[in-house]
Amino acid sequence: MSEKAIKLGAEKERQWPTKTEFTPEMLAEMEKLLPSKLNRVVAASLAGCIHCGMCSDACHYSVSIPEDKTLVPAYKADRFRKWYKSRYDWLAKVFPSFVGAQPLTKELAEEMYDKLFGGCTMCRRCTLNCPMGVDYGMMVRAARSIMQQVGRVPQHLQDTVDTHYNAGNNMAVPQDEMIETIEWIEEELQDEDGCENFKIPVDKKGAKYFLTLNPREPKYYPLTIQATAKVLNAAGIDFTISSRYWDLTNYALFNGNDPDAKLFSMWQVEDVKRLGCEYLLAGECGHGYRALRWELPNWVGGVPFKITSVLELFAKLIRENRIKLDKSVWDGHRFTYHDSCNIARSGGIWEEPRTIIRAAANDFVEMEHHGPESFCCGGGGGALAMPEFTPRRIAAGKIKADEIRATGANVCLQSCHNCTDQLKEIIEHYHIDAKVMNLAELLAPALIL
Amino acid sequence: MENNVSHALLFLEEEVQYICLTFMAIMYAIKIVTLLKKPVPPEKAELKGDRVAGAFESLLNILRPWSMESTRNNMYFYAEFMIFHIAVALTIGATFLIPLTPQIMTPPVTVIFMVFMALAFLIGLRRIHRRLTVPEIRIISSPDDYFAIILMTVFFATGFIALYFWLNKMPETAWMWVFFLMTTFFLLYVPFSKISHYILYPFGRVNFGRTFGGRGVTNKKAKDTNWNPTL
Ligand code: SF4
Ligand code: SF4
Repeated sequence: MSEKAIKLGAEKERQWPTKTEFTPEMLAEMEKLLPSKLNRVVAASLAGCIHCGMCSDACHYSVSIPEDKTLVPAYKADRFRKWYKSRYDWLAKVFPSFVGAQPLTKELAEEMYDKLFGGCTMCRRCTLNCPMGVDYGMMVRAARSIMQQVGRVPQHLQDTVDTHYNAGNNMAVPQDEMIETIEWIEEELQDEDGCENFKIPVDKKGAKYFLTLNPREPKYYPLTIQATAKVLNAAGIDFTISSRYWDLTNYALFNGNDPDAKLFSMWQVEDVKRLGCEYLLAGECGHGYRALRWELPNWVGGVPFKITSVLELFAKLIRENRIKLDKSVWDGHRFTYHDSCNIARSGGIWEEPRTIIRAAANDFVEMEHHGPESFCCGGGGGALAMPEFTPRRIAAGKIKADEIRATGANVCLQSCHNCTDQLKEIIEHYHIDAKVMNLAELLAPALIL
Repeated sequence: MENNVSHALLFLEEEVQYICLTFMAIMYAIKIVTLLKKPVPPEKAELKGDRVAGAFESLLNILRPWSMESTRNNMYFYAEFMIFHIAVALTIGATFLIPLTPQIMTPPVTVIFMVFMALAFLIGLRRIHRRLTVPEIRIISSPDDYFAIILMTVFFATGFIALYFWLNKMPETAWMWVFFLMTTFFLLYVPFSKISHYILYPFGRVNFGRTFGGRGVTNKKAKDTNWNPTL
């Protein structure tokens, strides 16, 4: 063990007070909060919708559940927009219903909760298809943020954030347990042929790469850590895993709580600085990548190190021949790849996964919609942490299930643990004969050592 | 062509329009300043693309229907959109050209204007029908949405008929009066209506282009598209 276990997370534990319905006091508080959430992007997105309906075919909810018209993006956003208009639209001051304005009532707030927590994964596919550039990611997060502040937030989603706050990672993995898990995975790795000298360094000062993980990996999917470590070792990459703030997830991106988002980011920044690493390396996690790569520098005001993803690093290793792969190990398998929305559409990474897949497998078939235009699987935006909306989440995954089936693939690759869980569920629910794997699991068996 | 009209119509075509135009400009200026005063979300991450190039590309999105699936798969809808908006520009343009430079409104020019107005009128009718009958559009439509499209459709029809008489050397007709009275109403009403969306369009597009352009999502071919970790 590298050091004595320390208490991670915030000094003082907390349980965010959640509410099961909106009260007049909460609505009054929301009225006070609204102006503070209206930055230029949110304000333009609220004011700019022309109700053209061009986003209707862009959303996996409205496409997968066509019978429910209240799931079209503009309708969902209008639950928030109606309130905004009642406050800020000039004509609404005189003729509110003429412009569709509505003061914030308990009913409207409940609809907003239902549609913007339970009916939108903030995947931004509609944004890509909106002529007015309405940014659903920012707008929906602003609405969630207001609701969360007054306590109206899905309990399990808030619990996930609270756990991260109290324990330093969202599954409350204690430091000593994490170190033991990594040591055990290292032993397993060393038992593989040709891997006798492979290491998974913990808290290695001055390592080039600070590898972060999704807590589901040490908890439920240790083989993905093993696979990632195998690839990095095979390429001679100097990396380490911290025994402290190794969790790259940040569910405050989904519940909209900025101070928490900032706090979790700050812990990670301080930990990278503690170990003196050159790169903060995001593991295979969709929102985690976006939270680290694109949001963290804004939450903390800039960082003195670089941030990248294992996808970019793996692709680079392949392009520069730092690893050798034997594609034949995957003969008999047909692969397709699901682009996580936060990695592709909100993150700019979709060529790298294809570089990786084409280097490791012969039979790869794209889904009809892929890259930045890929449909959300339905598990994004914290949807997996909202069990009250599970039936809708599964129903909304139909378009993705249909596209996977159409490829004839027996392996659906992806790079995100939320996507993993959702894809597994919809593949089972829609009776598709395929398994789900991440990219490290594709690369590791194909390595020529 | 000459604009031989009564003093009263000339007053409506010029002074009244200028006053209303000034009012509209002030309202728009307030809208723009209000939005400009809102804080811009920071972007401190190391960029993969060019935010400025992304913003320009996004602004020109309107001319690249292939860039969005929603237009790429619906070229007929896009063509209608383009004709409709060109007709808007021409119809409003006519309200300036007729009193200020009537010599430009020659018969061939007038006919071109009329063709666009007629097409836009038909497109307007189709859009009203769509808003009324397509469930996912009806559910998001407010009275303002209906009023705006009906107003535009009637405006095109009125403009078409007024120009028809203009073409036949009858510059002062009841239709021309209605056309300019509608223009007056337009200038006063539009800043409060959804029709003013063109003021918000640059904001939405620039916001989109800066975010997605900077992240290398939309302008992959701009510089620094491939962010490379060193080994
Ligand atoms: S495409 Fe954009 S402007 Fe049109 S309805 Fe959807 S959000 Fe509104
Ligand atoms: S952001 Fe995604 S889930 Fe939300 S409305 Fe748009 S397309 Fe649908």
